[in-house]
This record gives sequence, structure tokens and C-alpha cells, in this order.
Amino acid sequence: MEKYLLRNIENPNSADINEYVKAGGYKALAKAMDMKPADIIEQVKKSGLRGRGGAGFPTGMKWAFAAADPKMPKYLLCNADEGEPGTFKDRPLLEKNPHLLIEGMIISGHALRAKYGYIYLRGEYPQAKDILEAAIKQAYEKKFLGDNILGRGVKFDLCVHQGAGAYICGEETALIESLEGRRGQPRIKPPFPVNEGFLAKPTVVNNVETFSNVPYVLEIGPEEYSKIGSSDCPGPKLFSVSGHVKKPGVYELPMGTTLRDIIYTHCGGVTGDKKLKAVIPGGISTPVLPADKLDCPMDFVNMPKHGSMLGSGAVMVFDETVDLPKVCLRAIKFFEHESCGKCTPCREGIGWMRSILGRICGGTGNAGDIDLLLEVSKNVMGKTFCPLGDGAATVVQNFIKNFRNEFEAHINNKVRAER
Amino acid sequence: MITVTINGKQIKLEKPVSILEAAKMTGIKIPTLCHHKSLEAYGGCRLCLVEIEKMPRLQASCTQYVTDGMVVWTETGRVVEARKAMLEFLLINHALDCPYCDKAGECDLQDLVMKYGPAAGRFTEGKRKHPESYDDPIIVRNMERCISCTRCVRMCSKVQGASAISMVNRTSKTFVEPFSGGRYNCEYCGNCINVCPVGAIMSRLHKHTYRPWFIEKTVDTVCSFCGVGCSVTAQIRGNSIVRIIPESEKGLNRGLLCNRGRFGYDYISNSGRLKSPMIRKNGSLQETTWSEAFMYIAQKIKEIKEKNGGAAIAGVASGRCTNEDNYVFQKFMRLVVGSNNIDSIAGFAYAPARKFFEKIFGQGVTANPIQGISRSDGIFVIGGDPTAINPVLGLQIRAASQKDIPVATVGYAPGLKGFAANRLIPKPSTEAALLAALLTEMLKRKPLPAEKTPFEEIIGKIQPVSLNEAESACGIASGEISACVDSLSGMTNPALVIGRDIIQRSEGQANLLLLAALAQALNGRIYLSSELPNEQGLIDMGCLPDMLPGGRPVAVDSFRKRYGEFFNAEVPSAQGLSLMEMVEGAHSGNIKALYVMGENIAFNIPDNKFVKDALSRLELLVVQDIFTTETTRFAHVVLPAASWAEREGSYTNLEGRMQHLKKAIDSVAGLEDWKIIAEVSKVLGVDMNYRDSRDILAEIAKVSPLHKGVTYEDMDSGECMWPYKGEPLRHDLNIVGIDMPDMKALLKKPEKDKVYIGVDKVLFHSASLSRNSFALNSIYSEPHAKIGKNLAAKLSVASGDHISISTGAGAIELAAVIDSDMPDNIVLVPNNFEGRGAFRVMGWKMNAAFKAPALDGMEAVLKKLERVSAEVSE
Amino acid sequence: MKLSDKVAAEINSIKSRYQDPRSCLLPSLYVVQKADGWIAPEAMAAVGELLNVPGATVKGVATFYSMFRHKPMGRHLIQLCTNVACLVMGAEELVDILKGKYGLEPNGTSPDGRFSLVIMECIGACGTAPAMLVDTDFHENLNEKNIIDTLENYK
Ligand SMILES: Cc1cc2nc3c(=O)[nH]c(=O)nc-3n(C[C@H](O)[C@H](O)[C@H](O)COP(=O)(O)O)c2cc1C
Ligand code: SF4
Ligand code: SF4
Ligand code: SF4
Ligand code: SF4
Ligand code: FES
Ligand code: FES
Repeated sequence: MEKYLLRNIENPNSADINEYVKAGGYKALAKAMDMKPADIIEQVKKSGLRGRGGAGFPTGMKWAFAAADPKMPKYLLCNADEGEPGTFKDRPLLEKNPHLLIEGMIISGHALRAKYGYIYLRGEYPQAKDILEAAIKQAYEKKFLGDNILGRGVKFDLCVHQGAGAYICGEETALIESLEGRRGQPRIKPPFPVNEGFLAKPTVVNNVETFSNVPYVLEIGPEEYSKIGSSDCPGPKLFSVSGHVKKPGVYELPMGTTLRDIIYTHCGGVTGDKKLKAVIPGGISTPVLPADKLDCPMDFVNMPKHGSMLGSGAVMVFDETVDLPKVCLRAIKFFEHESCGKCTPCREGIGWMRSILGRICGGTGNAGDIDLLLEVSKNVMGKTFCPLGDGAATVVQNFIKNFRNEFEAHINNKVRAER
Repeated sequence: MITVTINGKQIKLEKPVSILEAAKMTGIKIPTLCHHKSLEAYGGCRLCLVEIEKMPRLQASCTQYVTDGMVVWTETGRVVEARKAMLEFLLINHALDCPYCDKAGECDLQDLVMKYGPAAGRFTEGKRKHPESYDDPIIVRNMERCISCTRCVRMCSKVQGASAISMVNRTSKTFVEPFSGGRYNCEYCGNCINVCPVGAIMSRLHKHTYRPWFIEKTVDTVCSFCGVGCSVTAQIRGNSIVRIIPESEKGLNRGLLCNRGRFGYDYISNSGRLKSPMIRKNGSLQETTWSEAFMYIAQKIKEIKEKNGGAAIAGVASGRCTNEDNYVFQKFMRLVVGSNNIDSIAGFAYAPARKFFEKIFGQGVTANPIQGISRSDGIFVIGGDPTAINPVLGLQIRAASQKDIPVATVGYAPGLKGFAANRLIPKPSTEAALLAALLTEMLKRKPLPAEKTPFEEIIGKIQPVSLNEAESACGIASGEISACVDSLSGMTNPALVIGRDIIQRSEGQANLLLLAALAQALNGRIYLSSELPNEQGLIDMGCLPDMLPGGRPVAVDSFRKRYGEFFNAEVPSAQGLSLMEMVEGAHSGNIKALYVMGENIAFNIPDNKFVKDALSRLELLVVQDIFTTETTRFAHVVLPAASWAEREGSYTNLEGRMQHLKKAIDSVAGLEDWKIIAEVSKVLGVDMNYRDSRDILAEIAKVSPLHKGVTYEDMDSGECMWPYKGEPLRHDLNIVGIDMPDMKALLKKPEKDKVYIGVDKVLFHSASLSRNSFALNSIYSEPHAKIGKNLAAKLSVASGDHISISTGAGAIELAAVIDSDMPDNIVLVPNNFEGRGAFRVMGWKMNAAFKAPALDGMEAVLKKLERVSAEVSE
Repeated sequence: MKLSDKVAAEINSIKSRYQDPRSCLLPSLYVVQKADGWIAPEAMAAVGELLNVPGATVKGVATFYSMFRHKPMGRHLIQLCTNVACLVMGAEELVDILKGKYGLEPNGTSPDGRFSLVIMECIGACGTAPAMLVDTDFHENLNEKNIIDTLENYK
């Protein structure tokens, strides 16, 4: 497949607006300026584009909800908080191809009649901040941004807002709270952001990769776009592959490429040709899969049928040497550290799971600990305020479901996890 | 119409509500922890999870709204399991120290665990450690017990508007903290304590002094501090109040209190309370018996009356005494002593302002419900900071502001900073120029109708003042003034909250006229701040030199006759003296005897030295009080009174609501004020024959045309509002006796380099009573002089440095506090602390229209002191 | 404490980007942290004053986010990821090395004040794990040797 999202990124000056324009950039914007906002929304709807942030919500539909709300002004927020462990696919877009995102946001802003856009960038990407800000400055200079875009009287202002280390701020309502200068805790829904988001105004939040797909939809048209990859969630998809593979990195592949293809065809297989033990296919919150479950098409529709989820498309590969209870413990520590503290089961339950896992991995686990762990996870699952808590419960349940023997081994043999 | 089924019961609803609320309507109780009826839904504790058919997940009933056809189950196995799980989670980091915790017995978590909870938590590792914090004098923080429900934080920011605390950190390491991490330095309303479902934040004052199950009885009564009149519940053990909490159902305060109301009541158990009557013998006060004291007073009054006539005797009533006390007092003065010389501190500002507005708009025009403030579409505040003077009323303004209702403040109102979009701070004593400009501009936007009422005719004659003229007089940029006009002109029925600073002035009447005109132009409702709990009652009961009970003028023969006829007595026709005239009279020798009931006039009237001089010239000074005060020191007879908690009666608040004050405990030593008066009266040959306050109220209900048939039961119903059950006077549309303000004079500028002294209204104190409260002193123990940052810079003074403030009347030395928000040429000093009150150094001029002292910013000289000198020379 | 004129000016210039001054809170805290290396309580109060946000609220916000520092830091801040991808690629050994070589404990500062170490959740370099940020620079594909070589460039 020809690359779109990552095209040109080998060019060391790919972030420069002139290089971007030379490679055909900002053409979709010119096209969009000739279109009625409602028509852009219609095309995005038709394309079948789904949000790349993890939930896979149809983008055109989200836009239509916001467009239908009469309140003004409307806000456009880019979710560049990329915090799901294992995920690093937005980073090359931000650092190497910032104008694609900017172009996507301007088009989206026009479609929604939004005058203000913010890129909520995770604090851990300080370099992306400088690159984006430089790119935005160039875009203003070229009149792609500002009060009179391309002389068409359309206004759109864009700036970068830096997060400060809180995974939960990737959740869209927590992101909005954070952007408003508050503690990043999720809000009660409804009202949804499309009706009452930033400053209580209609707000669309989309992922970096989602916005970066928008110019493509306009460039090739929704029909062509919808032919790429899986039919019910088409388009190019970025996969971040890490862990024990020969060629880890970010891959742009059609939606629906199987996990096996990703690992063995594109990434060259397991490092040192060791045996593969487990794969987390879509970022740490998605269910871990054992080695025999790799023939699943990686998309929003098919992954649930195969016992996991596409999530952010972050594939983490573990070879036979990996102590999975230890990985599970580390993952739970992550959730414990990132729990915003708002709701009881997540705030207290995850810490409890961590302490049980801690004793198991520390070689002091008890016979009933696995069942206790499962029960605690069951008491967290489905009862939290937002999906973060569920993510933690999912991790525990699926590691135990697929690799219970490894947990039992720790308990029975009283072995400490190795360093 | 929405139909929902909860546990098989069907209900129909007009509009969607939360499942929790819908369940409550059907009598189904769903357990909650983070939910509180005065706060917005939060959805954090997850205790209220319920099962909804067709939804796979359990849903939080406090945040989930009902939809048509929804079928909800609140007690299924799944729900009960989940509830139990949530409780088990909460106990992970909750110190299980119920036997030691003061909250035990009224703790929501304890109750829920008893009812639903796990028999024993299975969490075995160590709990979070967080030592109990005793850094604050009032609030003990025990974060090992905090369940992160954020009720306190939401209360403090969304309702109290103080935002003094926040959740800090995240994860299970989150807890509640004030900014300093130790001392709260906040408004100390205690409303956060009130909503904490567990024992994580508690009142230090009550630490280990009681347990809920020790409470023997509770008495619903009214706060004794200010004119808002919050409903409180006194919890009693033995003969003492162990705690005051807000009465949450009926009261206008809806479960809120301020620091004074919640913590300040402890003055009643101060060991300094007067315990025995005293008579001055050989120059010093000596204990005596009640009967000797009564005999002495009666004898003296008789002598003076025979020699100099009743007009040589005067009486000072009290806004802290009940309607019943004040009624009996004026009856005693008028019918027994034969004098209309009756007045009180209310005569300085509250009464003249009220009378002025009533003259223009009719009786009762300021009787507006406090709750209406947050429902108005704009608020204009002038003459003092309502959040300090009438705190719970102030919360209404903050609540309105949080709902984006525009608020404009004129003058220094620090408690509304951040809530008022338009904040105009004129130079001292230049408000009239500003008001006139606001009026002039308003009339341009909304001209008066062609067909004018008599008052509109008067408004038409007020000289216009331009924005530029106002700017040069009051120092506020004309743009700011017109921005305020922009905001005002969008209001259709605003609330005008008016404080005494604007009234107690030489130009007080001009200010009131301009405000009345503004009220007319804005279609506004007027609220008068009131510093004492019963200022309105003083007026209604006839404790004014020119007014009989029921708001009837003494000057009108028929009213006087009617009143006298009840008792076969004659009401003197000569108009009495105002309080300030009484003091002058005492000074000049025309007044020979002064009877003071529950007021500290030697402290609460400006120019203390002059007042003391006057008092020392009296032949008889009788003082009824609960403490030794600056005034009792000059008395010939001192009589211990019962405190607020030790008597029954009624208070009438600033909105004209009569409330029932109930006896909570027995008096230590004193008698009810009315009883003392009745005893003196008896010795003088007039037997008043009251068995209790009910008898007095029954008499009031007969004689006062405003209080026809009023009973305590009417008050207990919570709706005994102006005009009670009676009739106000008919309004005479022909407004006479209003002088047109001389705009030229009002436009003159204050002299540039002069510094003026004004009175600081401290949130934590209330005249001279609160200095006897251990609790309030522990929050605010020292008076400070507040100055702005430029003045501080000029004096090279930093916060905490001591300064001396001297005026023609004397000097005081105080620590300075710098508030960058204050205007440059003013120093504010509170009048609460003995020897260091503002009135020690503030003089006055007589305001002829009000016959009350005008406190025009008095020139003061400020100096930085190198050495801190505690002693102050007289 | 007063904010330096430079810090105050920078905060004021950020204000124009937002419709609501409160939104400048995080950016303002960054400005302070960049200038001082950490956010002192007095600075929180001053920022609150500037943006009209109560001090306690500023503190609540500042302590929510893990990248704001509440005590003075060493000259260079090492933010080392130990999340899953880095873990399986050997991040824990790197923690030991930092301790051995510089006396650095997680959340601690080396005795000479040169480095402070903070353990991070995923920093988005999983494909080149293990990874760290030193101040604002990414260093990836770390191993026991090159981590020291890298750090030696930071004096
Ligand atoms: C705990 C949590 C973390 C999330 N983190 C991210 C994130 O880092 N980046 C992102 O784009 N979306 C994230 N999301 C998803 C967002 O809430 C939201 O669905 C997304 O930004 C919508 O954009 P999209 O429709 O373009 O995917 C997260 C959701 C949750 C519940
Ligand atoms: S599940 Fe609850 S505590 Fe966890 S992040 Fe979401 S809202 Fe916060
Ligand atoms: S006492 Fe009142 S002002 Fe102080 S923290 Fe509690 S709610 Fe806030
Ligand atoms: S202190 Fe009390 S009210 Fe405040 S969050 Fe903790 S438990 Fe809730
Ligand atoms: S507002 Fe007034 S009446 Fe209410 S508690 Fe405070 S002092 Fe008492
Ligand atoms: S009461 Fe509903 S979640 Fe707490
Ligand atoms: S896990 Fe370390 S960078 Fe992603």
C-alpha cells in the first residue's frame, strides 16, 4: 500500500511547510474551502472514517452532532495526549508531518464552523511542541490559519496546549477539564462534548491520526477512501509495534491487516527467532492474546470477535522469556499511578490488585490470591466512572485467563519475579 | 410525560430527574455518599449503583436520568454485591477507628457498613498513613478517614464561594487540603464540616466533648449574630450547648451557616458572664441582691422624674434583645417613665434608611425575601461587604454570580472580589457623585415616563452629573462607570443590597435619595444590611423616639391615643430624643438618667471618649448586660441578663421574617431582659403581669396593628413574613420633606494626600459581643489596620508591622495588614476589640436629617512604629 | 513572592490565546517551572493571583499532574520510562545503574545536585525501548553502557 499518513517522513525537512506543499500538501484545504461545511461532513460520513483514538466512533457522525447544536462558538480539540502504553503512532505525525494534522484540523474547523482549535499535546512530547508551534507559525504566515484563510473570509485559530503527565487526560472530557485549567477528571456524560464541551460550548475532540485522515478523504474522495482496508472501518491505520520483534516501529497499513502479518511480515518476526508467548494488540488496556490467536484482522469490528480490541493499534510482543505476571504487575502499577482518584473502585480497587500482584510476583503469594484478584477485578469491572478502571480490570482478567499457570507457578514455587 | 418503574412501582414524571430523585419520590432510598442535596451530582462514590433493564452495566443513580419506559431495580443481588464491594473498597484506606472517632454515631460510612457492608475487609496490606492535622484552631483534618467524596470541596467552592480547599494529588493519594497545608485561613463557615459524610474534617472545638448519642435534646432556634436570622439547631447535654448545627429543612439558610453562627455561640459559657446584680457604692460596683437593685433603680427614677420630668430620662434598647424585651422596654419608657426618649444603634443607619425608603415607596418596601437575591437578574451592592456583615445573605450573591447573574459592587467589598463583574471603588465619601452619574446615565437609557408619579417628579429634579464630573470626583474612569451602567441597564428586577457605610454620612440622605431613584429606574428590590439579629424588631416594636409599636408615628394623635387606651395611660406626645441626642443630652446635663438594655454604648458609638464623658455625668446609669463592658464600668446599677440561649422570644430579620427564639438552656445567673424591666416597673407601681414571653407576644398581637394575632406557632411554620398578620400604614404618595441634594457640594473632591479612617467589618466578629467567644478569638484574635499597597509602600510598612493611627480624637496602635485591593487613602480598623476599636479614634458630626452620627471619613495620620508597643495610652 | 517580570510577562502573553484566563493555568505553571525548575507554593499563589484562580485551587491542579515538580530539582531531570515495553527491554537494570553510578533513587536527586530521576509511564518511545527524556531530549535504545555515555554529556 502506498503510504499517506507517513509519506515523506524520511525527508529530514518533512515538517517544513514548503516541503509539505511540494509533496501535494494543503491541496485538500483549498478544495475544502470551495465546499459547504455540511458537504464536508457528508463526505467524511460517507468515507466511513472512524476515530483513531481507541473507541472507533464514526467521525462524521460526531461532527454532525456538534454541527447540529446551535450554540456558538464551537471548539475543535485535537487529542494528542497519546498516553496508552505501547502507543507511539501519533508521535511521527506530530514530529515529522505536523502540517498534515494542521491541514486536517483547518478543514475540520471549517466543516464545523469552529473558529478555535487547540492541540492538547502530552507533556512528554516536548520536541513535538516546538515542531508544532513552528509549523503553526508557518501556516499563519501562509494564510492557512488566521482571520482570512486563503482569502475566503474563513477564520480559524490554532494553538498547542501542553498537558502535564496524566494519562486520564486522553479521555475526552478529562481533556476538556484539563484544558480549562482544572484537575483532569472525567465529566458526567451526558451532556456530551459535542453539546457542552470546552467552556460549555459544542466541542469536537478527535485523535491526531483521525484529523490526519481528513485531507486524504477529501483528496481521493469518500468512495476511494472507503475501499481501503476493512469495509466497515476503512482507511489507513498506524500500528505501533514494540517489544520482541526484529523491526519495531510505526507501520502504516490498511485497517484489518492481521496481527500475524504485522508481526511476521512487516516486523520481521520475533527477535532472535525466539518463541512468541503473548501479544497485547491495541495498547495496554486491551486484552492480552496468547500466541495461537494471531490471525485476527486488526480493526474495530473484528478484534472484539477475537477476544480483544483494536484500541490504539499498539502491538506489544512478548517472547517466551517474559515473566507475564510481572508484566501484568507493571501494567497495574501504571493504572494505579494514573487513576484520577474520582471513583471508588478505580481509586481503591486498583491499589488492592497491585498489592496482591505484588505479593504474587514477590514470591509471597497465597493459594487464594488468584481468585481474590479475579474477584477484586470483577468488583472494579463495569462499576467505574470512566473506562480507565475497566482497563485495569481487563488486564488482570485476561492475563489470568490466558496465563493462569504462570501466576500459579509464582505462588506454588514461592519464586520472586526475576530482574 | 415520563413513566419509570422502580422496584415494580410505577411513577410518572413531568420532567426528567435523576433515578435517585425519582426513587426518593416513591419512598425508595438508595444509599449514597458523594451525593448531597445542596450540591451538584458528582458520581464518584459509586455506592448508588442500580440495575436498569436493557443496560448491561450498573448505573450510578445520582447521575443517570430517568427516561420514558425505564425499569430500575435498586436491591437486586448484583446491586447489593456491588454496594458491598464499594464499601469494602472504601475501607481499604479508611482508618477503622470508630471507637475513637467523634463522628461515630452520625457517620454515613459507618451506618452503611453496618447495613450492607462486608463483615470484614479482605485487604491486608498497610493503609495510607496521614497524621491527623491540628494546625488549625477550628478544623481538625484526619485524612486517614477521607473517602474522597469531594463534598467539602464542592461546598467550599460552589456554595460558600471561598475555594479555600482543594483535593490535592490524584490516585488513592488524593486528599483534601487548604492552601497552606496546615491552617485553613478561610472563612470558617464550617459548611464543609457539615457536609463531610465521615469524620475526616471535624470541629476542633467539639473534639471529644460529645458523642452524638450523648445529646439529650435538641432545640431549633435562631442565630444570635446578624440580621439574616439563620435557623440553627442547638444540641444540648446537661445544661450546656455542645454544638450548633444549621437547621436544614425550614430555615432560609437551607443548611448553611457562617462562622459566627456556627462557632461563636460559646460566649454564653464564657466564665466572665455577669452573675450578680451590682450597685455602685463608694465609687465601685458591688454585688447586691435583685430586690435591692430594683428598689434602688425605682427610687432613683422616681426622684429624677419628679425633679426633672420624664423627658430627663432616656432608654437605649438593643438589637440583640427579642421583640418581647424591646416591646416591654418601650412600654416601660413611655407609660411608666413617661418619655419617648427611646432609641438604639438601629437608629444610626438601619432605621433611618428604612424610614427613608418607606416614605418614598411605602411601608415594608425593604421586606424582601433573601432567597430572592439569587433568583434576581442582577445585583447591585453598596455601603459594605454583605459577605462579612450578613454572610449567609452574601452567599446568595455569590450563588447568583456563579449562575452568571451580573453583580456590581460599589466600595470596598473584598468578599465579592471575583464575583462582581463591575467593581467600582470610589475615593472616600464620593459615592454620591458616582451614584448621580450612574443615575444620569441610566435615565438616558431608560427615560422616565411622561406621566410621572410624585417620586418620578422628584427624580426629574435631580441635577444630572456627567461621567467626566463623576470621574474627577470619585477617581473612577468614566469607561468603568459606563460599563457598569451597561450591565445595570440589562437588569429587569435586580436586588440592591445597601449597607450602613453609605447611610452613616453627612450626605447620607442624598445617597439614599439617589439609591431610591436608581431603584426606581431599575425596578429594583431593596435589601438593607443589618448587623444585629433584631434591628427590624426594634422598629416594629416602637423602640424609636417617634414610632409606636406596629410602625405607627407617635406624632399622630389617634395612634398615640389608641395605644394609651389599652393601658389606661397616656403616651407622651413630645417626640423623644435619638440615641445620639441622648448622649449629647447626658453630656450637656439635660439627660439625668439613662437606662441601657443590652447595648455597649461606650464602645459602639463613635468617639468613645465623648460618650464616656457623657455617661460619667449621669445621675443614674442602669445597664442590663451579660458581660462587663465599657458601659457597665460607668453604671450605677448593673443587672445580669439571660443570654440568647437562655430565653424565649422572637427576632425579626432584615427581610421582615419573625422567627421563634427558643430557650435552649437555663440561665446561669441572669434574668430575661423583659423580666428585669417588669420588676422595676412593678416597684414603680405598674404591674405588667407577664408570666412568660408568650403573654408579651399575645399583648403585642393585640396592640400592634402589624402583628394582629401573631403566635409562636405562626413563626414555627417558617412563614411569618412582613406584614406578619397585620396591616402596614397606607402609603402617602405625596412625598414631603426630602431635600434636593446639592450636587456641587457632592462633587467636591477629597483632599489628595489625606488618609481617612473607616470601620472594617470583620467577618469573624460582631460588635463587642464576639470578643467573648473563644472560638472566634481563636480565628481572629487581634485587630488589624488594613491599608492598600500604595499607602503601605509610602509608609514602608509590610504586613505585620505595627503602625499608629492618630486623629483629633486620639491614637491607637495596631498591626497592619496590606490588601492590594484597597483604595489608597483609607485605613480600615475594626470596632470589636477593647481599647483598640475604630470608634476610639473616630469622631462624628450630627446628621440633622437622621439625628444620628455621621461618620465622614475622619482624617488620620499614620506612622510606622519601630517598636511594638502593646500598651496604649488614653 | 512576586513572579519575576519575565515570568509574569510571559504568562500575560499566553492569556491572549485563550477565551478564559483559567485555561492558562497549566501553561503558566509550565512557565514557572521552566524558570525555577519547580513550582514553589508562593509561585502557585502568585500565579493564582494573576489568573484570578484561588490558591488552593491552583494547588489542587498543580498536584494532579505528575510532571509538575513540588520540590527543587537537580540541574538535569532524567525521566526514565519503565512501562511494559521498556520493562521487557531492560529498563529495570537501567534504574540500578543510575543508582550505582550517580546515587540516584527514583524521585531523588544525586548528592551533587546534578541529576534528578523520575520514573515515567510510557513516553511514546516503545519501539526504541528502553527510553528516557533528559530535560527535553529523547534518548532511545538505551543499554547499560550508552545510558552513561549519554548522561555524561549533561554536566
Ligand atoms: C482512559 C482513556 C484514555 C484515552 N486516551 C486517549 C489518547 O491518549 N489519545 C486519544 O486520541 N484518545 C484517547 N482516548 C479516547 C478519547 O476519549 C476519545 O474517544 C478520542 O479522543 C476521540 O477521538 P477519535 O474519535 O478521533 O478517536 C482515551 C479514552 C480513555 C477512556
Ligand atoms: S475510573 Fe474513576 S478514578 Fe479511574 S480514572 Fe476514571 S473516573 Fe478516575
Ligand atoms: S470552613 Fe468554609 S471557607 Fe473554610 S474550608 Fe470549610 S467551607 Fe471553605
Ligand atoms: S474530607 Fe470529608 S467531605 Fe471532604 S472529601 Fe474527604 S470525606 Fe469527603
Ligand atoms: S449569617 Fe448572620 S444569622 Fe446567619 S449564621 Fe451568620 S451571623 Fe448568624
Ligand atoms: S452517590 Fe452516586 S456515585 Fe456517589
Ligand atoms: S513503554 Fe517505555 S516508552 Fe512506551
